[in-house]
Amino acid sequence: MAARCLFRSYSRVKNVDQNTRILVRCSRRMLCSVPSDSSSPDAHVKPQFMDAEVQDILTRIAGLDLEKVFRPIKQELKPPTYKLMTDAQLEEAIQSAREQAQRLLKMPPVLPERKPINDVLSEDKILEGMDTAKYVFTDITFNIPHRERFIVIREPTGTLRKASWEERDRILQVYFPKGARRLTAPPVFQEESLKVVFGQDRHEDVLDLCQVQFEPDSSEYIRVHAATYEDLEKMGKYDLLRSTRHFGGLVWYLVNARRVDGLIIDMLQEDLLQDAVSLVGLFNKVHPNSEIAQEASSQQASGLDLLKIYAKRESQRAGYIELALQAYEQTSAESSV
Amino acid sequence: MLPKRLPVRLWTQAVFPSVKSSLSLCTAASPEIPSDAAEAVEALARYKDRPWDYLESEEYIERYGTSPVWSDYRRNHKGGIPPQKTRKTCIRGDKICGNPCPICRDTNIIIHYQNVKLLQQFISPYTGILYDPTRTGVCQKQQKQLNQAIGAARDHGLLPFQVPHVDFSGEDYSNSHDAVGSTPPPPTMTPWYWWYHTIQPDETEVAKVKKTYKAYLK
Repeated sequence: MAARCLFRSYSRVKNVDQNTRILVRCSRRMLCSVPSDSSSPDAHVKPQFMDAEVQDILTRIAGLDLEKVFRPIKQELKPPTYKLMTDAQLEEAIQSAREQAQRLLKMPPVLPERKPINDVLSEDKILEGMDTAKYVFTDITFNIPHRERFIVIREPTGTLRKASWEERDRILQVYFPKGARRLTAPPVFQEESLKVVFGQDRHEDVLDLCQVQFEPDSSEYIRVHAATYEDLEKMGKYDLLRSTRHFGGLVWYLVNARRVDGLIIDMLQEDLLQDAVSLVGLFNKVHPNSEIAQEASSQQASGLDLLKIYAKRESQRAGYIELALQAYEQTSAESSV
Repeated sequence: MLPKRLPVRLWTQAVFPSVKSSLSLCTAASPEIPSDAAEAVEALARYKDRPWDYLESEEYIERYGTSPVWSDYRRNHKGGIPPQKTRKTCIRGDKICGNPCPICRDTNIIIHYQNVKLLQQFISPYTGILYDPTRTGVCQKQQKQLNQAIGAARDHGLLPFQVPHVDFSGEDYSNSHDAVGSTPPPPTMTPWYWWYHTIQPDETEVAKVKKTYKAYLK
């Protein structure tokens, strides 16, 4: 009888599947078409994190320091191997190392928080009081992605509902354990432990652990990342993440929060003017209605002029930026002369 | 005033002052015993709440200096190769064995997950792997405590360790599939079996049954 109930609900879901796909497609099309109809003709879709040009800018800003990416880590020691190479072979080896580094520095996705799952598939009052425990039915077929796996729970009250996101993560970890992920989150991610770890300058470790433990669209992941980025911005320790895969996420967070001041000054202190220019360009793309973007588009500014506009309008520490720009112009004039 | 370092034969008195062993029957050393024992008990209580304070105290520096606590310990065993397992425990009930391990011989050393300096003495600085007890000389009970404390310290983020790289390519995060997206609720239909909802019984049938079993009804 229980199997028939489950089959019935599954078949209903399967029949509904096609309808919802059509519905979803229609609704998505409608959502896409609404802004362009209602607002002015030169308004555009907000650039997303995964857009090619955004990713291009972020990878350029993050840098590629081979020394930092391939620094020696603590692991089981083996006796060293020595190779004799010609110059050409050395160049090839360095090139392959650069490609490997680019693969390692590929950024993890930045996603909005996932919507909670609150679907009830069936209400069977006859099953009320049959048992005191919940039953969790999981589909453990091997070759389907985890996000397409059905996990349903029969409550003691008789309702058959879909499992919530936290329950899903836990149950998938039980049946399909994943690397170093734990069943319950380690206490590193609580507020006090985070403070201690930030005091030791180990932000990169915290972000790595967060990626291992949580899904990219879960609330815990977003909270830990926000806390880390806030601490980095407060202390001004942008250099800790500079050649890692997390730098793109940090820059995206700061650009969306419109607090790129500290980062621009840090770049100027490190003499990374091109990076600062690209950062202001990205800011203009993400906030096209801001003063800087409008002035830049009106003047068709590029290069150091963008930085000057930024220093004039949005920055709180305009004096420092202007001084640094003047010093750079002087040195470039002297070197050209 | 610093507590004096305890003479060897007074370990039992220091750790378990209430126990009377046969050694305490001789009265020659008796004027000294009570004050030393009291100071030792006070030292234990002093470091119970904050075990990491002991590693900064002068007593510790005088005894160990900058080298780890297990550096000057040597196991007693027959032959050149030590047994592959250290002893199970140094302290059984009231009795301490001869030549206790580096952690049991100093009562002020307490293994605690926040006592990071002590825990780091038992981890290799080059590989990040814990030292084998045959190298450090600790008894098996204390080694288990050490393993648990180091695991807890790593969980709380006090000890650094290497995290594996996670690959995010090839995963779909759109959440459009019905398993995780929202599906409309099922339409209410007639129950699967006609008897699913509560049924009112037929009065005549009920009366007939009651009449047959009248003797057994209250």
